[in-house]
Amino acid sequence: MLEVHHLSLRYPSGTQALAGFDAVVRPGELVIVLGGNGSGKTTLLRCISRTLAPDTGEVRVNGTDLTRLTGEKLRRARLDLAVISQHAALVRRRSVLANVATGALGRHPTLWTALGGLPAAELAAAERYLGEVGLAHLARQRAGTLSGGQAQRVAIARALAQRPRVLLADEPVASLDPEAAEDIMRLLRRLAAEENLAVLCVLHQVELAYRYADRVVGIRAGRVAFDLPREEVSRDAVRRLYLSEAA
Amino acid sequence: MSSSVVPQGGKAREGGWSGLLASAGKLAVMLAVPLIIVQALIVVQARPQDLITGIHGMADIIRRATPPDFSQIDSMFWPALETIDIAIFGTIAGVIMALPLAVLAAANVTPSRPLYYLARGVIGFTRAVPDLVWALFFVTAVGLGPFPGGLALAVHSIGMLGRLFAETIEHMDMAPIDALALTGARRLQIFTHGVVPTVLPSLLGISLYRLDENIRASLVLGFVGAGGIGFQLLTAMNLFQYRTVSLLLILTFVIVLSAERLSAALRTKLA
Repeated sequence: MLEVHHLSLRYPSGTQALAGFDAVVRPGELVIVLGGNGSGKTTLLRCISRTLAPDTGEVRVNGTDLTRLTGEKLRRARLDLAVISQHAALVRRRSVLANVATGALGRHPTLWTALGGLPAAELAAAERYLGEVGLAHLARQRAGTLSGGQAQRVAIARALAQRPRVLLADEPVASLDPEAAEDIMRLLRRLAAEENLAVLCVLHQVELAYRYADRVVGIRAGRVAFDLPREEVSRDAVRRLYLSEAA
Repeated sequence: MSSSVVPQGGKAREGGWSGLLASAGKLAVMLAVPLIIVQALIVVQARPQDLITGIHGMADIIRRATPPDFSQIDSMFWPALETIDIAIFGTIAGVIMALPLAVLAAANVTPSRPLYYLARGVIGFTRAVPDLVWALFFVTAVGLGPFPGGLALAVHSIGMLGRLFAETIEHMDMAPIDALALTGARRLQIFTHGVVPTVLPSLLGISLYRLDENIRASLVLGFVGAGGIGFQLLTAMNLFQYRTVSLLLILTFVIVLSAERLSAALRTKLA
């Protein structure tokens, strides 16, 4: 379970990126965050993953507050929190299988993995995760040869190899064609349900949010504009998110 | 209206000044280039007429150097091997020492700023001192022979390789590295699973190019007593054995060309 309470961050430039943001994502739930440019969506994910330190507020992953952790404790806490972004960020010269297995490195602090080895059990698990994203047949191929959609699926398999409780997705379909985007969203929906993952996904594609989200959170000026089941989100409410950006 | 005229006039004046300065700069360059060339000719005491009067001497050396003394080719095998091995030793030892220094000297992966500056300093110093000076230093320290030659190339290679390795690491795509960090992987794991596979082909290419350079350099190091063909070449010249000299030059040509071709072929394969 992911709980975000009163999260605030002001950049040194003076911009208030987040202003008391609250959200909860339960296991098995896919929550999609919608908002205009500069509304604080990416800052929110960066504060949750602790690549940015918020000024105030809490980010709890299964009860552990990440905002209070640093160093080794933060590294260990991050094992429960996987992140995928717009670009798959794979090591292009390594095989697809090795890329997936590296997702589990944090759970194996051994000399073998420090020297570049991968545990046999994790390689076998990586095959399974690749099967789950429908790419088992590409396991031995170099990651650099994959299409954008395939690479994004591998990034999701790598996130699964991490065996997280929470999955953060920062515009995971932004650089994909519509068909590949639908594939990825279907996959995230299925994984949330089957793996009992709490998935928080930032999107720009409103239609995808209407089709795949359990709940939609609208963000405007770093605050929650609405937090509703997708059936209750009106077109007007969404339009206002983007109108306020233009104004 | 009038308010817009003033700034335009100001701009025109600024344009005039900058145009004048640019013209003055061009004139200065046009005057400086011939001056630099003339002073260089004076300092090196260039006397083209000496080349013409010296043509007899050169012809005499070429006459005495032909045909090459191929009867000595057996005895040249060992110095040739020594030359190649000095370069191989120097390159491998250089790579081993340059790699950790490059990691410390790459701004995007260095663990601390003081170590960054220290590594940059070591790389800069070893590069600034020519390999021939390092060879003289090591000949004094460990005596004549191929070993000081290998050491000289190793130390000089630290500077060249360290800089190029560090630049390669600094210019690599950081997205996969950041992604690995977010999985909770440790620093060393991120390095071996993310940084190494990303930059390894480039580092191997640079190392092969350095081996090619080091083979050329190891030929010259023999002149200061660091073994190999260079040492044989110096001895033959001192003893006026020009036919031996021509044989050694042919060997040098074959070694350098082979190394160059092999290095280029391997680098193409790695790309």
